[in-house]
Amino acid sequence: MSSHAENGPPGGAQPMPGNPPQPGPGPTDEELARMSREDLVVLGAKMDGVEVVYSELVEPGSTAERRAERQVAAAFTGAGLAALAFMVIFVAWPWEVETAGGGFDLSTLYTPLLGLMMGLAITLVGIGVVLWAKKLMPYEVAVQERHEGASPEIERQTTAATLVDIGNSTGIARRSIIKRSLGFGGAMLGLMAIFPLGGLIKKPGTALFETPWEPGMRLLTLNGLPIRPDDMRPGALQTVFPPVEGGTRSADGVAMLIRLLPQQVTDYRAREGQEDFRWNDFVAYSKICTHAGCPVSLYEQETARILCPCHQSQFDAIDGARSIFGPASRSLPQLAVEVDDDGYFVAKSDFIEPIGPAFWERSS
Amino acid sequence: MTRVERLRKRTSSGLALGIALVAIGFGYSAVAPSSSAQDDGLSVEAMAGQEIYENGCITCHGRNLEGVEDQGPPLIGVGEASVYFQVSTGRMPLKQQEAQAQRKTPVYDDAEVNQLMAFIETYGGGPELPTEEDLRDGELAEGGELFRLNCASCHNFAGRGGALSSGKNAPALDQSSDLDIYTAMLSGPQNMPVFGDNQLTPENKRAIINYVQTLKDTSDPGGLSIGRAGPVPEGLIIWIVGIAGCVIACFWVGTRS
Repeated sequence: MSSHAENGPPGGAQPMPGNPPQPGPGPTDEELARMSREDLVVLGAKMDGVEVVYSELVEPGSTAERRAERQVAAAFTGAGLAALAFMVIFVAWPWEVETAGGGFDLSTLYTPLLGLMMGLAITLVGIGVVLWAKKLMPYEVAVQERHEGASPEIERQTTAATLVDIGNSTGIARRSIIKRSLGFGGAMLGLMAIFPLGGLIKKPGTALFETPWEPGMRLLTLNGLPIRPDDMRPGALQTVFPPVEGGTRSADGVAMLIRLLPQQVTDYRAREGQEDFRWNDFVAYSKICTHAGCPVSLYEQETARILCPCHQSQFDAIDGARSIFGPASRSLPQLAVEVDDDGYFVAKSDFIEPIGPAFWERSS
Repeated sequence: MTRVERLRKRTSSGLALGIALVAIGFGYSAVAPSSSAQDDGLSVEAMAGQEIYENGCITCHGRNLEGVEDQGPPLIGVGEASVYFQVSTGRMPLKQQEAQAQRKTPVYDDAEVNQLMAFIETYGGGPELPTEEDLRDGELAEGGELFRLNCASCHNFAGRGGALSSGKNAPALDQSSDLDIYTAMLSGPQNMPVFGDNQLTPENKRAIINYVQTLKDTSDPGGLSIGRAGPVPEGLIIWIVGIAGCVIACFWVGTRS
């Protein structure tokens, strides 16, 4: 029990913060009229059960106070000046980056100076506030007595009874039709609020299973040129795109046409059922990693390994682009290629399996 | 094909026979050097090159440039572009057998490189050095696009290089001269894919070189490059410097003055 228990009425009700001051051995009206402001503050705190045990004030007009004041003012003024400097630099500093000549010039300092001034302005405001609080605000330790444990039994039972009585007297407990209709109305209202988001959900259809490649489509370079076998020397890699509108931006159709070295052609092993996918010493694989969809274009021509820069997966181009290292678990899908009557590379079909990372509906 | 057809239309059957004979002669001379070229018919320069070859290269690449198993690849038909790149950047001669040859101080000077190139060329031609004077004569924006498509995946978007498999790496392009980059694309040294002239035209190559060298010359907007290696080192610096600064500030706010 708290030290204020004797102030409360018999029965154990406690003086809580916000309760009206308890009548008791307080000052009379006369005494009250004579009390100073400091006395009233102490009295008010006492009535709430608060006691100031330690207090430390900055001496008004002291040297320490004046010094602290100057420091805070300097910090705030500095913040303003830094902000001003930011604006001046933003307008007046030579900002155009030199593309030739290199090395150091004034423009290299443009961004750092902007950042420095902005950071300085914000930091100095913070420093000023902290200095103000640390050096000029009074420091005190106050203690407030609180009762221990749960509320007394009598309070708990009366409070519970009051709540149940509210439910009964307003009829909420009985009028189930209102409750249910309110529930229905509320639920529909909530649903209505999120319903328009459904317009953002689009059925993907077969987009994940197909790419723009079709039988007879020519393999094009970035510049839109078809490729002949003698354009590429052994050990060469060419990124190829399908000849469709926006083909070079086609995220799923992009493939790598690789010309293997003679020894690698001897060692070449196709995946089952894909023996006729290569054309002599040329093979083509999807450029999208089967792990997380990064472009896998690090090609080591001597080892015929295709590396993914994102998570270091490695694929063996002479073993059907089988995954031989790293987090990717599936081979890169192979694009069946041949050469048409005009001597240019064409696709024999679309990829026979979905390219890129796994997804729910994918069977393998 | 077309040239032969055109000639055939224009020539009588008697002339055609003559051409056939000449063609056989050429065919023979293209095959024959692999066995007899080092004996005679070498230019002075090629003979000097042969001497260098027999002192510095023959152990790994063989008496007739046929290569030695597990030591060095055959050099027949590699071309002068390949010789230039490997020797002038100091990658060849190799100091020791390792994952890949590293750039080091060249052993042979320019004249000796020329002699070696002349000698290797006698064993069958390959990609040749470019004849253009200005290898940066290409469009910058096009070069950037081609660089990001063909080169950036290994050499990094800012030409800083990167790791490959089993201890190999794609080198940074800091020290690469215009001709280094050109001959590297042309010859595909070590694990780098070959980018022949039909794949990246000489114009494309010059555009890429222009882009790479411009990138290297450009000052870093922001002051520090932090290795130009992207978000990882930048994040690391922000973490160490920034978080340390915040912790110190917290201590300062929390202490009584």
